[in-house]
Amino acid sequence: MRFSKALRNLFLVLFSALMISACATAKKEAADPLKNDVYTGTETVEYLANGVPDRVFFATNKFSLTTAARDTLRKQATWLRKNKDITVTIEGHADERGTREYNLALGERRANAAKDYLMTYGVSGKRLSVISYGKERPVNPASSPLAWSQNRRSVTVKAN
Amino acid sequence: MSRSLFFSFFLHAFFIYLTALTLPFMLRNPIDLPPIVSVEFIEIRDETNIPYAPKARKIIEKVKKEKERVVSEQAPPADIAKEKPDRIAMPEDKKEKQELKKKKQNPEEIKPQIRQVSEFEKKELFDPNQIAALIDKAKEEQAETERKSEKLTQSNVKNSFAKGLSLSEEDALRAQIFGCWSVPLGLPFDEELLVRIKLKLKPDGTILKSEILDHARMNTPGQSFYRVLAESALRAIRICQPLKVPPTGYERWKNLQLNFDPTEMLKG
Amino acid sequence: MKKIFFIFLFFIISFKNAYSLIKVDITRGNLDPLPIAISPLHVDSKSEKLSLFDTDKLGEEISEVIEQNLRSTGLFNPLKKDSFVQKPDIAHLKPRFEDWRLIKAQALITGKVLVKNKKLKVEFRLWDTIASKEMIALSFTTTPLNWRRVAHIISDKIYERLTGESGYFDTRIIYVAETGPKDRRIKKLGLMDQDGYNAKYLTLGNELVLTPRFNPTNQLVTYMSYFKNMPRVYLLDIETGIQEVVGSFPGMTFAPRFSPDGKKIIMSFAKDGNSDIYTMDLKTRVVEKITNHPSIDTSPSYSPDGKFICFNSDRSGVQQIYVMRSDGTQVKRITFGTGLYGTPVWSPRGDLIAFTKVRKGRFYIGVMRADGTGERLLTENFYQEAPSWSPNGRVLIFYRETKSGAKGEGFSAKLWSIDITGYNERQIKTETDASDPSWSSLLSK
Repeated sequence: MRFSKALRNLFLVLFSALMISACATAKKEAADPLKNDVYTGTETVEYLANGVPDRVFFATNKFSLTTAARDTLRKQATWLRKNKDITVTIEGHADERGTREYNLALGERRANAAKDYLMTYGVSGKRLSVISYGKERPVNPASSPLAWSQNRRSVTVKAN
Repeated sequence: MSRSLFFSFFLHAFFIYLTALTLPFMLRNPIDLPPIVSVEFIEIRDETNIPYAPKARKIIEKVKKEKERVVSEQAPPADIAKEKPDRIAMPEDKKEKQELKKKKQNPEEIKPQIRQVSEFEKKELFDPNQIAALIDKAKEEQAETERKSEKLTQSNVKNSFAKGLSLSEEDALRAQIFGCWSVPLGLPFDEELLVRIKLKLKPDGTILKSEILDHARMNTPGQSFYRVLAESALRAIRICQPLKVPPTGYERWKNLQLNFDPTEMLKG
Repeated sequence: MKKIFFIFLFFIISFKNAYSLIKVDITRGNLDPLPIAISPLHVDSKSEKLSLFDTDKLGEEISEVIEQNLRSTGLFNPLKKDSFVQKPDIAHLKPRFEDWRLIKAQALITGKVLVKNKKLKVEFRLWDTIASKEMIALSFTTTPLNWRRVAHIISDKIYERLTGESGYFDTRIIYVAETGPKDRRIKKLGLMDQDGYNAKYLTLGNELVLTPRFNPTNQLVTYMSYFKNMPRVYLLDIETGIQEVVGSFPGMTFAPRFSPDGKKIIMSFAKDGNSDIYTMDLKTRVVEKITNHPSIDTSPSYSPDGKFICFNSDRSGVQQIYVMRSDGTQVKRITFGTGLYGTPVWSPRGDLIAFTKVRKGRFYIGVMRADGTGERLLTENFYQEAPSWSPNGRVLIFYRETKSGAKGEGFSAKLWSIDITGYNERQIKTETDASDPSWSSLLSK
């Protein structure tokens, strides 16, 4: 009797410990999708094709490409080289935490950063057009650091 | 022979006496003070009861609190008073007074302050750099509150030595006019904003005649704000009638000049 | 001997009596708004009746517009009409100043309205109740429909006479009227009188429009539009409604303004990740490149004499404000504080530059001298930007956005104004949400 009770208690303790630790890890992931102020999650990401994300993200006021961004763009370049008749528009966006006119220019810079990288991987510039929306078209309308990081993006959109 | 001697002695004495009466520097205390001090050493009350605007009161409390430190570190002037009776005080004083006045206390706190004596004495009595440092620091911290603090100028000092209004009489009159004057709010910060109005008063404090001294400036193109300012000053005086004049000594104050200058109020 | 002695004594005594002139310094007054009485204007009984509106109410309505204008400045305190003793017709002919002084008015406005031969004639007088004299007496004739403009012009005259500054009531504001969810906003060009009346929309809202500006004569508007998904600078004629693209740039043009002489449009052009400032002459269509730097150069603003341009550049790594000659030479940075600076606008008086500053996540509207000194922050908020000057250089209009919730709820954009002393911050009423405001010059010149 005592033994089964002890065993049951042991199970209970182990079980609850596992539950808690599982929760803990889950929470951790959700709480920090930003790395160095750049969004690293997948919530807003759409796909041009299987395994080809359509967008890359940036840090506040920056237009430099992260390793993850370059990885994404290489995949896009490969896909574009395979589908030679597709042309795309690269949309550059900024978060709402800046002045409107500067954000228009920043969006254009971000879009061009993506375009230049694609071109170094063999995609002809004639197939890539660029447009900036500044802060006018956020993907996440909330006023939070997470939303802002999701809005700082450069999205490749099929044009035809 | 003795008669002419007597005459000569008498005339000499007479002229020396006249000189003593009329030459300012002979009469006055050798060192000027920013606040008013007259030879008779008035018992100055802690509160001179100028009713400040409610906003100003709070700020003045703040300034007072922060100024306390500066006051306590100033050496008492009593000893200096007797020395150097014949120096020419005016030009130096004006300059040095400016520096001190920049971060001056309000009149409620009139305690004898450090007087800037001649270079020679300064070294012995206190370290001017220390005081200057305190004053400058205070100025930075309270740039905003400075707007409401009082600035007593040279003419006030002259005033008392000419035996015009006493400190409290003058305070009463100024307080009265402060309450009547609606300062035009659209004035430029960086222009000369002094309006001098000369008044001839009746014994009951009403105005017999008023005259704007810089009258021509009222119609100068590009200086339209001056006209507005001058008119506001005139309105203030008219609204304030009868002015709070002393009950006696009409001859003393029947001619009055009011210098309106909102510069301090506007500097924010 | 004795006589001489007494004569001397007499002289001594008379010397003693020679008092010098007492001078008293008045360095403080009260900064309360000036109490003024605005009497409803008397409507002449001979006035014709109009079909469009009630002529009888015109006198009252004009005085209400004047009262609203003057009250909005924060400098005047219009007194309550129910305390007025004199009737409008008598007050206009011969005011009894004691009556007005009794209610503490320091100035009085009276007037008369007459509608005859389909024309509106408005007479007004400004009185100094303390000095008991008339200060201004003027009359205006116009079409009855323009009665609001007459009220604004009268307000300007009164403002000028009582402050020494020119007024800003006979002006309009061009702005972007916004509706819809935060991530799919519909934006139209909006035009209204400075007090929010007579609002109308100049575009339909089918494409995004941003950052409009008047030309010096207030007849043309330049703005940026995403027409056909090509973000470019456009020109719109307010009268005809005709819009045209400015120049043929192979890329995005944005942030447009007019030069002070109205002959050129200055704007940014973005290409290959770089934004530089260009001008285009509206007549000759000649395009000139003004800045030449790999950084983002935008938000240009001319000094009122046209000799200098201040603009926003991140060539130092962070957005700052620079000043250069209008030919692009002698570029000089003028902001060095912590944080970043944007949207510089030169005051019509030439003395100050207004700007937006962002520091530690907070947005500020401020002013500084044209050399960058004397920086003063006027207001702080979660989000606000893009100040624009009133024509007399005393008031700034700008816009604010509120924080929004997870789904964008609670979001709003509104126009606000503030005096350059930092006082009198107030919201400007608009029918819809609004952003990117720009103030016209005085309509009557």
